[in-house]
Amino acid sequence: MNFFSLIGIEFKKIRRSKILWILLAAVIILWLPSIFNAHMNFEMQDTGISPQSNFLIQGFMGMAWFMFPACIILSTVLLNQTERGNKGILKMLALPVEPARLCLAKFVVLLCLTIAQILMTAGMYFVSAAIASQTQNYAFILSPLIVFKEAGLICLSSIPMMSFFWLLSICIQTPIFSVGLGLAAIVPSVLMINTKIWFAYPMCYPFYIITSEYGRMASNLSFSSVEFFPWLPVAIGITAICLIISCLCFGQAERR
Amino acid sequence: MSYALECKKIKRTGLISAFLVGGLLASLVPILNMAVRSEMYTHANEPALQILLDANWQMMAMLNLLLTVSGACVMYHIEFADNGIQRLSTLPFQESSLFFGKALVLTVLDILALFIETMALAFCCQYWFSNGAPFGSRFFAELFANYGYLLLLMLPVILTSLLIASACKNMWISLGINVVCVFTATMLPTNNFALSLFPFALPFQTLAGTNMDQAIYFMISVVIEIIIIGIVELIYLRIRRCFE
Repeated sequence: MNFFSLIGIEFKKIRRSKILWILLAAVIILWLPSIFNAHMNFEMQDTGISPQSNFLIQGFMGMAWFMFPACIILSTVLLNQTERGNKGILKMLALPVEPARLCLAKFVVLLCLTIAQILMTAGMYFVSAAIASQTQNYAFILSPLIVFKEAGLICLSSIPMMSFFWLLSICIQTPIFSVGLGLAAIVPSVLMINTKIWFAYPMCYPFYIITSEYGRMASNLSFSSVEFFPWLPVAIGITAICLIISCLCFGQAERR
Repeated sequence: MSYALECKKIKRTGLISAFLVGGLLASLVPILNMAVRSEMYTHANEPALQILLDANWQMMAMLNLLLTVSGACVMYHIEFADNGIQRLSTLPFQESSLFFGKALVLTVLDILALFIETMALAFCCQYWFSNGAPFGSRFFAELFANYGYLLLLMLPVILTSLLIASACKNMWISLGINVVCVFTATMLPTNNFALSLFPFALPFQTLAGTNMDQAIYFMISVVIEIIIIGIVELIYLRIRRCFE
């Protein structure tokens, strides 16, 4: 069976999971305060950021610090529990399919769910910016190019985090520990972005990137721009190690 | 009898160790914060406990919330996973006592976690703020009043997250709704009294920062919330029974 049909099967498995509705609910709740507090965007002049950029970046910051990582954890729970219920995973492992490829196919599904959520966030941004423009009589809508650039940055920078959460959910069989550890790992990311070793902590990448974008847009704030050198090798290393270990461990607990 | 049964059920889920580790993790927050930058806090004029809570409680409360929410989801997940709940509903046994048994277990676990955190706060006060003199009974009265207040404000979260977990068969849906609720709580403005009564926003409150009148309002509304959530769960179980 080739890799693409494996991915197709994985998508079929989550068809009735209603996960997209939960992700959508999270995105709608994210933008509601921005609509209600749209007038506050005009009070940020002393940082040198324009109201429309502030509207975009505040929403994306709210997304990147907690909701986005939490939704990734949620998706890992979904991908694991759909098969552990009624022992579906045992049947999958009995087929002549390599477990590592099965694991990678599931990871691709996780990636797609994340991309779907970031696209929903961008879509809801346009809706809420249009509403805010109506209520405040000020054009809040930025060009789609800028919006999708920020969305793409968040998405790319969250791949190491995704692989780490994926590793947690594969290697730790007890749900409370894999979920609890993942959720607890999100909380310190606010502290980590202010330290020098932020690049060693994959959970803070999206938040760091979006904060530095904020610094770039607000001309009066001095927030250092992203340095690629220690970051990119470390990020790629973390992703590779997490994926390799999770491929090796996939199905080990069931086969015992 | 229900309580003892619930204790047996959680034996292999790792909940007890998860709450112990979570409590320790949350108590590391003030200790590390003080260890790294104590000079920022020791010169302020407010009482030591208030400084510590203002600086660290948001993060500690977030950890407590996430721990409680995932604990609640796991507690119902073990019932739904292998259709254990169907066997339970054939027994001469009220389904609501399952809910209240679980709520009691979760409360005890939270008492444990919050106790560890309170001890960490006491340690920080003693080590960094006392200047060598031991604290009197007044400090401990304040500390334990705060502990009780935090615990009371945690109860609506325990009940609401269990209510959501009991309503959804799949763990990702219950966890998803709960996590979205926690996220909503972080987005709510803190200066609005009506909005801060949202169950998931309550644990972010502390006794040290609020004045006495408002604290009493909070406590009264928490008791009302607890009663309402309990009644909602009872009604929900009745209705679900009719459609099964």
